[in-house]
Amino acid sequence: MWFFVIGELWIFTCYFACYIYDRGQNPELFLAGQQLLSRGIGVLNTIILLTSSLFVALCVQATRARDVATASRFLALGGGCGVLFMLVKAGEWYVKIRERLPPSLHEFFLYYFMFTALHLIHVSLGLLILVLLWRELNPMPRRRFAAAPGAEQPRVAFIEVGATYWHIVDALWIAIFALVYLMR
Amino acid sequence: MSGSALTAVAAPSASVETLRLPSRKLDQWICYWSIPFFYTLFGLIFAALGRIMPPPSPTASVPDILEYMQRPGLRVGMALLALSLGLASLSSGVIVVQMKRMEGVSPALAYAYLTALAVAGVPGCLFPGFVFALGGFRPEYAPEIHVMLYDLGFLSFVGSLGCFVVQYVVFAVAIFLDRRTIFPKWLGYLTIWALVTELVAAPIWVTRTGPFAWNGLLSFWQGTAIFVGWEFCLCVCLHRAIKNQPLEELGCEG
Repeated sequence: MWFFVIGELWIFTCYFACYIYDRGQNPELFLAGQQLLSRGIGVLNTIILLTSSLFVALCVQATRARDVATASRFLALGGGCGVLFMLVKAGEWYVKIRERLPPSLHEFFLYYFMFTALHLIHVSLGLLILVLLWRELNPMPRRRFAAAPGAEQPRVAFIEVGATYWHIVDALWIAIFALVYLMR
Repeated sequence: MSGSALTAVAAPSASVETLRLPSRKLDQWICYWSIPFFYTLFGLIFAALGRIMPPPSPTASVPDILEYMQRPGLRVGMALLALSLGLASLSSGVIVVQMKRMEGVSPALAYAYLTALAVAGVPGCLFPGFVFALGGFRPEYAPEIHVMLYDLGFLSFVGSLGCFVVQYVVFAVAIFLDRRTIFPKWLGYLTIWALVTELVAAPIWVTRTGPFAWNGLLSFWQGTAIFVGWEFCLCVCLHRAIKNQPLEELGCEG
């Protein structure tokens, strides 16, 4: 998983490097575009995602303590925040698309939509992984009967690996938020 | 056992059974070696002759476009492509055979891979080939038509993602579900990178300049670089998978 994470970070670093370079070529355009973004929503989304990461971390902690019920609860909360993030992002896009953005800011908004869309794909993948973690913590009754008695404990390593991916998704969002919404 | 069919055949004291066994993977090896052959040809066609890779600018002037379409290299390249694109099926075939060996994975994924690649190859490769060939072989068309062919060729070549992405998704899912590790897990991760970077080619329809244009750093170069790396790793893993396939398995393949 760390191999995967490093690769994703590398790919996104290339994107960010491109963004920073283009921004250096055209600072007024990018600043103007940035003014049109709602920083408040950006902050909201950041808080949502950070909270979800907190929940997922608490889930890992509970799993290590073999408290499956608590772990599942935290996992559900973390996943719920992830879904909330996607809804807020969808709302933000809807508002932006209806606003008819000025064509002169085309380059900036292409970056904005591309980065957030790519990130959203990663959030979806992350949510899928969280579902897999949920199934690890709460196997379907059929599996419980079929599994050997010793296999009923959830694999902590699996939970940790999935949580790692979710944290990376969060970290990428922080980077996008800082670069696109905040950086002057 | 690995591809040294000649050695086994030459052994004088070998029984008939031993003589037949080593060549039973020959069909897979033929398909396997078609991959580097095809990609070398691909490089010749698209890079050296056609100069379609790397793509020229979407904002090229009309005289530049006309000059580009009339190069003899383009015509020769596209004619070669029409003859040789079918070779891609061999690589799909051998990958599907290995995917069907996976345990815990339905053959539906293997068939999905085969179909996705077959369908994606049309807009991704063959159709742009025909579009450029048309431009090359009909110099008498009006310039506007050549400009349209130029746009259509490149938008199709770089922008035809849906099926390729499906191909990668299916392959990655199969690798992760596979309990026998026919292909290593890291290849699954590499496949996910390939599909993410291919998705970034979507904006080429919307913009003609910058990193998201069809010749852009992000939409073209990064995706292509990762694809080349992926293909190379796929070849390495496929070689290992075919080599490690136990001979007893070959008998039950239909």
